[in-house]
Amino acid sequence: MKREHPNPHHTHLNPLADASMAASCSSGAGSSAGVYPKQEIAAGKAAKMWEEEHQEAGMDELLAVLGYKVRSSDMAGVAQKLEQLEEAMCIQQDNLSQLASDTVHYNPSDLSTWLESMLSELNPPTSFDSVMAAPPPPAQNPPTIDESFLAPAESSTITSIDFPDQKKHQSSTVFEESSSFDSDLKAIPGKAIYSGTQLESSSRESKRLKPSSGSSSDLFSIPSIGAFNPANESSRPVILVDSQENGIRLVHALMACADAVQQNNLDLAEALVKQINYLALSQAGAMRKVATFFAQALARRIYRVYPENPLDHSLSDMLQMHFYETCPYLKFAHFTANQAILEAFQGKKRVHVIDFSMNQGMQWPALMQALALRPGGPPAFRLTGIGPPSTDNSDHLQEVGWKLAQLAETIHVEFEYRGFVANSLADLDASMLELRPSEVESVAVNSVFELHKLLSRPGAIEKVLSVVKQMGPEIVTVVEQEANHNGPVFLDRFTESLHYYSTLFDSLEGSVNGQDKVMSEVYLGNQIFNVVACEGTDRFERHETLAQWRTRFGSAGFAPAHLGSNAFKQASMLLALFAGGDGYRVEENNGCLLLGWHTRPLIATSAWQLAGKKLGATH
Amino acid sequence: MKLNIMEEEEERPKIFINDHIDILVEILKRLDGQSLGVAACVCRLWSAVARNDSLWEHLCFRHVSSPPPSSVRPVVVALGGYKRLYMVCVRPVLSRLGDSGLVRRVWTRNEVQLSLSLFCVDYYERLGGSGMISSDASPSSLMFLCKPVNV
Repeated sequence: MKREHPNPHHTHLNPLADASMAASCSSGAGSSAGVYPKQEIAAGKAAKMWEEEHQEAGMDELLAVLGYKVRSSDMAGVAQKLEQLEEAMCIQQDNLSQLASDTVHYNPSDLSTWLESMLSELNPPTSFDSVMAAPPPPAQNPPTIDESFLAPAESSTITSIDFPDQKKHQSSTVFEESSSFDSDLKAIPGKAIYSGTQLESSSRESKRLKPSSGSSSDLFSIPSIGAFNPANESSRPVILVDSQENGIRLVHALMACADAVQQNNLDLAEALVKQINYLALSQAGAMRKVATFFAQALARRIYRVYPENPLDHSLSDMLQMHFYETCPYLKFAHFTANQAILEAFQGKKRVHVIDFSMNQGMQWPALMQALALRPGGPPAFRLTGIGPPSTDNSDHLQEVGWKLAQLAETIHVEFEYRGFVANSLADLDASMLELRPSEVESVAVNSVFELHKLLSRPGAIEKVLSVVKQMGPEIVTVVEQEANHNGPVFLDRFTESLHYYSTLFDSLEGSVNGQDKVMSEVYLGNQIFNVVACEGTDRFERHETLAQWRTRFGSAGFAPAHLGSNAFKQASMLLALFAGGDGYRVEENNGCLLLGWHTRPLIATSAWQLAGKKLGATH
Repeated sequence: MKLNIMEEEEERPKIFINDHIDILVEILKRLDGQSLGVAACVCRLWSAVARNDSLWEHLCFRHVSSPPPSSVRPVVVALGGYKRLYMVCVRPVLSRLGDSGLVRRVWTRNEVQLSLSLFCVDYYERLGGSGMISSDASPSSLMFLCKPVNV
């Protein structure tokens, strides 16, 4: 289930001005509403001039007071358009009759489509825009206007829907969200969602994005989402987003939702997820993406929707390739691990690397090249790649082997390859690998982001470590995420992963361009889904910290091998090469290298050897 | 009028550089990468001379503190040649890690090693699915080197 990337958010947010400008142009060209908000839209000069031309002619006075300039003659046309609009709105929401009824439930398995339809509504057709550009029509009796304008401000329901102010005149109902939303929201302890009074939040609150016309603000108060839009917005033609406030609110909402999920209060959680999605729109960049992914993950958890089959291997490989290209994490992992392996293989004539994380084999060209150029000439290089079975009939492990063999031939390194398919590393046994005696062949074991998956089954990691010991390796290189996403309490895991992935997405923001970045985000998003939405054996993204891995390896009979200064230097150089990479930091921690973004370490490379055996010593 | 000019021209000694390829090579060896690229656009002869990989080899390792071991050359040649090494790896690495291009700095062994590793990854990526080199495939994993630094 692929997450629809929140690009739609972008497309509709910015050109609102243009859209409404275009709309007013077209509407001007037509016969009806020559209505414009007082706010001048910075658009084509022609349009502007046209605006000014008509500005003084017969404006409705009442509305002019409020800041809208409407021609009285056009009121009827505007009203009609509003009716059409309401129809259009109602059609799209299945269960929404009058926009003022009971709790709205959405088809849970269709969350993506729902979200998409919500978003596409924000990218409205032209007629919508011209209507939006219209200020509230006076309706039949002026007093009604005032009343309805004032009403929302007095209303005590935070969730009164303000869409569009005009509509209130159409039907005198103030669109209030269902009372259940109210109580749900009020139930949040400590008023994490509501901060301060009604009025306060009305002034600070804005779901609006930076609109250049007051009308565009109305676009965001979609009725079906429990938006708090307390006060009457029409008196504020310019609404600037206070995204920092919203950012805080967003985080609170996320935490509250996770808490609700943990307490199995699914109605509340459901309401909160919708708010999160809505709040996320007001953010920009990394925060929005993270929030959207986490919201979707929470939704999946709430509705118990999660694809049973793991992602098709070729697809996950492709995502990982993009992740490899966009940011330095995988490259850092490969280069540092290679350096450790290179040093361990010093002086050996025949070497054998067992790779638990074969994927596309991107780690090995660099090692082979370093071996080819080492003083004394290259050793005979043997590689055993272990990977999961592929769902299609292609034998991708073999394909990778062929490519590597081609490379080896080019650089004149004697090469041998074997691919192993295993559902889980715990199925492996040392005898399957046809290891040769250790005087003949030196062994290294490599695992990049694979070991944590074993933690979903009890006993698996211990078995694998004992099998590794049986292989008698010179060195075991391990790269893992530096985070604890495997705690017993859901809320703790949620909080940890929220911080972790926020930092990760922040670091991605600096990288250039389009498709690669999007794919990397999807790659990370899949991890988020797994951490948040799954349980039991389905949840395999069980990251643990370096300290925890140290304990595990220590108790399994391994001793740490220090990564040398060469590895540190290479890693630092590599990071310096990355565009937008000023925030990356390499740290050394007791012989292990950590790559982080600013102050937060994100991945850790460590190397291990059998306890009681010194590297390179002869027995 | 014309006669005068022709007389003047005959008096000056004529050195036509294209007659002396070895001198041309020596001159080109001392150019920086960009100038070498420009020189390659002058005429067909110069283009052929500039394509000579040894010129680029000289350029790549000009500032290395100690000359690279002899085993490097066959590897680099097999992976695509020095010109490609320079264009794809050395130039971006130098410009990112070094000071401005005018200041000649000495490469460290680690930087050389890093460039070579990246070059090898580039070759591997271009291998494509069947093991054949697809020349039009862009080495995407090295694109991060060529992209402008984002502020």
